[in-house]
Amino acid sequence: MLEFKKVTMQFGALKSVSELDITVNKGEIVSVIGPNGAGKTTLFNVVTGIYTPTEGDVLLEGKSIAGKDPAIINRLGIARTFQNVRLFLNMSVIENVMAATYAQTKSNIFSSALGLPSSRREEREVRARAEELLSFFGTRLTGYRWEQPAYSLSYANRRRLEIARALATNPKVLLLDEPAAGMNPKETQEITEVIERLRTEKDLTILVIEHDMHVVEGISDRVIALDHGVKIAEGDFDSVATHPDVVEAYLGKGSADRK
Amino acid sequence: MSEQQGLGIGTDEWVAQHEKRLARRSGLLGILDLLNQKVSPAIRYGILGVAAIAFGLFVDDFYLQRIAANLGVFLILTLGLNVVMGFAGLLDLGFVAFFGFGAYAYALTSSGHLNQHWPTYLSVPAIVIVTAFLGYLVSLPSRRLFGDYLAIVTLFFGQVFIQLIISSDSITFPGNEESTDITGGSNGIPGLDPFVLFGYKFKGAADYYWLLLVILVFLIIAIIRVDRTRVGRAWKTVREDSLASQAMGIKVNNLKMLAFIVGAAIAGLAGTIFAGIQNSVFINGFDMPLLTLIYAAVILGGSGSIPGSILGAFVMSVLPEILRVQNYSEILFLSVLILTIAVLGKSWKKFAFNIALVVLIGFLVKVIVSALNIATTPAATWAIAPVSKALQHWLVIPQSRLLWGNIGFVLLISLIAYYSIAKEKIKFYLLPLITYVAIFVWEDRLVIEPNTTRQLIIGMLLVVLMIVRPQGFLGKTRVEVL
Amino acid sequence: MSYLGQQLVNGLTLGGVYALIALGYSLVYGVLQILNFAHGDVYMVGAFLGYFVELALGGPTKSIVPVPIMLFLMFAISMIGTGLLGIVIERFAYRPLRGSSRIAPLISALGVSILLQNAAQLIFSANIRSYDTSSFIPSTLGFSIGDVTIDSVRITVLILAFALMFALSRWVNKTQVGRAMRAIAIDRDAAVMMGIDIDKVIRWTFFVGAALAAAAGVMNGLLLRGVSSGMGFVPGLKGFTAAVIGGIGSIPGAMAGGLLLGVVESLTQGYLSTNFSDFYTFILLIAVMLLRPNGLFGKKAIVKA
Repeated sequence: MLEFKKVTMQFGALKSVSELDITVNKGEIVSVIGPNGAGKTTLFNVVTGIYTPTEGDVLLEGKSIAGKDPAIINRLGIARTFQNVRLFLNMSVIENVMAATYAQTKSNIFSSALGLPSSRREEREVRARAEELLSFFGTRLTGYRWEQPAYSLSYANRRRLEIARALATNPKVLLLDEPAAGMNPKETQEITEVIERLRTEKDLTILVIEHDMHVVEGISDRVIALDHGVKIAEGDFDSVATHPDVVEAYLGKGSADRK
Repeated sequence: MSEQQGLGIGTDEWVAQHEKRLARRSGLLGILDLLNQKVSPAIRYGILGVAAIAFGLFVDDFYLQRIAANLGVFLILTLGLNVVMGFAGLLDLGFVAFFGFGAYAYALTSSGHLNQHWPTYLSVPAIVIVTAFLGYLVSLPSRRLFGDYLAIVTLFFGQVFIQLIISSDSITFPGNEESTDITGGSNGIPGLDPFVLFGYKFKGAADYYWLLLVILVFLIIAIIRVDRTRVGRAWKTVREDSLASQAMGIKVNNLKMLAFIVGAAIAGLAGTIFAGIQNSVFINGFDMPLLTLIYAAVILGGSGSIPGSILGAFVMSVLPEILRVQNYSEILFLSVLILTIAVLGKSWKKFAFNIALVVLIGFLVKVIVSALNIATTPAATWAIAPVSKALQHWLVIPQSRLLWGNIGFVLLISLIAYYSIAKEKIKFYLLPLITYVAIFVWEDRLVIEPNTTRQLIIGMLLVVLMIVRPQGFLGKTRVEVL
Repeated sequence: MSYLGQQLVNGLTLGGVYALIALGYSLVYGVLQILNFAHGDVYMVGAFLGYFVELALGGPTKSIVPVPIMLFLMFAISMIGTGLLGIVIERFAYRPLRGSSRIAPLISALGVSILLQNAAQLIFSANIRSYDTSSFIPSTLGFSIGDVTIDSVRITVLILAFALMFALSRWVNKTQVGRAMRAIAIDRDAAVMMGIDIDKVIRWTFFVGAALAAAAGVMNGLLLRGVSSGMGFVPGLKGFTAAVIGGIGSIPGAMAGGLLLGVVESLTQGYLSTNFSDFYTFILLIAVMLLRPNGLFGKKAIVKA
């Protein structure tokens, strides 16, 4: 589904990601772990077109997408959330989701201005779809919350809204950048279930960056560990979590021996 | 540091701020918030429409009709800029050039200057399309630019437009001996044809008023609709976070271009009508002062808010007219001053004390001046309008009006600046002093120079507004992540 | 050849003035990331202060002090006075807006610009004044290289402009405040955490920026251009353009951008058309922005996501 071929991303002298080979199969949930600065978010930025890789290629369903415009890449079927949550803060909750259907809708400025039937129909459909997507999270983002400005939401709800917004672009592959960051244990448990449901109900392939090992353990078919832009381990959760290089990357040199 | 904290307004903070929000509603600005929320838009626009029609039917005064027609043009401009800046968040400082282009294009196609007399139904749509195309051209280099960079490129563009118009009065084409006058240079182009629509030849401002009313009704409906639907939403995402917007499949560059094109087309349309009303075009009408006036209108009303744009346009377009007549301007000045003291004073007791102190200062100064035998300007020369006549027994205008006015003006600015950082206790005593100096400077100096005064007020308003209420009068509170 | 040389000298002189204005924009932008729209009007105030110092010393023909001392006083008093004005503007129009939206300081700056312009018009009237330089610095003074003559006013302006630029780079690189300023430009949060007094640095930045603009204003007066309340707009625009061309936030960039702009303007005026010189400058700006969006000396910003 999604393939990285010897992807290198260099900023000046710093290689943030170095000759990375990753394959994500259809319907898989793959977690990317690694200490801060390991190149995880850079990886996402390369996939979504924010960065053009210095070397190598990224393939979506066998076709190269490296260096394409972020909007085009999204339209080809990759949606993401952001580590620092980038919502359209001064728009309402439902507008945030409705705005993300932009690429799949057609009405232009004239049909909107004239209030043509086609434009009105489309508007109703978009709204219904947004309401449906927001109901994915139970009642947390429904009802009176629709019209609230996004900045009034709690942190956890912002993360949920960001996922709903990403879903509205009809993706095949979903990239989640630390979906559980800043959540309490109950919310973390919930987001774990949500990610699993995203795969089964929305038929998605999911790539997750996550620091919370409980979440990683709970959701991952496969785990990839990065350090200094290099893949140091890959496999199921247990094998990666106990891999000496991974332990060393997290705890420092020599820790693995002491253990 | 502080920017980071702006991020964290979550449910808890939202609830915690409940009291604060309620408290804010109680003030003068709170009334505006309440009005904004309680009166339904349909009623608001309805009242506005009825008032506008009544004005057109019953007001015969030529002067007022002209003001109303100019207000109509200004409203179109404000709404257009609101699309570019309010919706799409683009700081287009060349906006007024599109207006000028529309006006000049109409002048060139409908006057004896180049001996072109196109029919209105042809020239106006053609000009709107060409202006839109010009907007597209300007947007091309601006595609990748945001914020300040965009502002400077477009500002420069406006400047170049002015220079081109001024310099194009003697262009020598290759193969021609004599130079051709294309734009009339700084002399402008007089004697334009009036609009002719459906066989009716427009006679005066009143006719344009009705045309403008029809255009405005359609324009406002169209803009409201666009704002609520697909393109409007996408514009707002560009304004909010263009990176996230791109990641959601929105082609940010195209939307920025579209905003430019729409804004240019609207400004071009306003330009043609303006040229028709004025019967002539002059380049100095399309320079910075007008641009700042339009910006002030959009920002004052609340960037992104359509009712806000309308309110802002009213204030900014009627204010200069009021300032032109000494009596009105004095009444306006004094009422705003008293209102400001009332708002700043916070309680009636303090307010009364303030006013008493101001009166006291006035008489004190008068006594001192007469005791020292300082020469003054006789009241008969400055106390012309009713308000200043009422003030003549209290206020002293020294003989060298200019000098003291300037000293007073500098003192006033310094005092206001100091007031903004002074301690509460000092503020309390400072306010009457500022009030007195303000009245003095106004009567001594400002009232006789309405143009400069208007600009000063706009400048002050912009700074104060940004500090006190950056979202404008009718705008929503905005949260921004830097 | 001599014509070209003459145009180049004129261009460099003009460019020096632009560079000084551009530096003010770049310094402020580097520290606060705001576009100080009022900078052109600060420059205007500087020119006026220089004019009044000249008047106070007895005027262009009957100066009570020797010419070099008069020049020194004109520059010194104007620069200090305008520098203080810069601090005042920052304190009242920008500091209350720190941490608010991105557009608010821009609008506030626009307001300050209108205020300064009209306050100047009110106080100094709309008359255009002149330094009347030729009555105290004879244009016959000066020297020639081949066919190119450089008159004494231009020499003074050129030397002073370069001296000020040199002093600025020393200041930025060698002093505590200058280093703190660069640190803030790179990472404000980190700089604050390292204990840098950000308010002090910003005050200095505005002081230095405004003082340089004042120097440019006095030079402009010495070069016999009119002094009036509206004089700041176009040079302000040019100065910012120069800063953008050089790469905003970059100090050598602002200098190079200013000199380049001056030379280009002078050459287009000399060879193409006097009337359309702004038009060519505009084209240069567009070309630079398209080819090198971060300016000639600017570093490519890394998008944070």
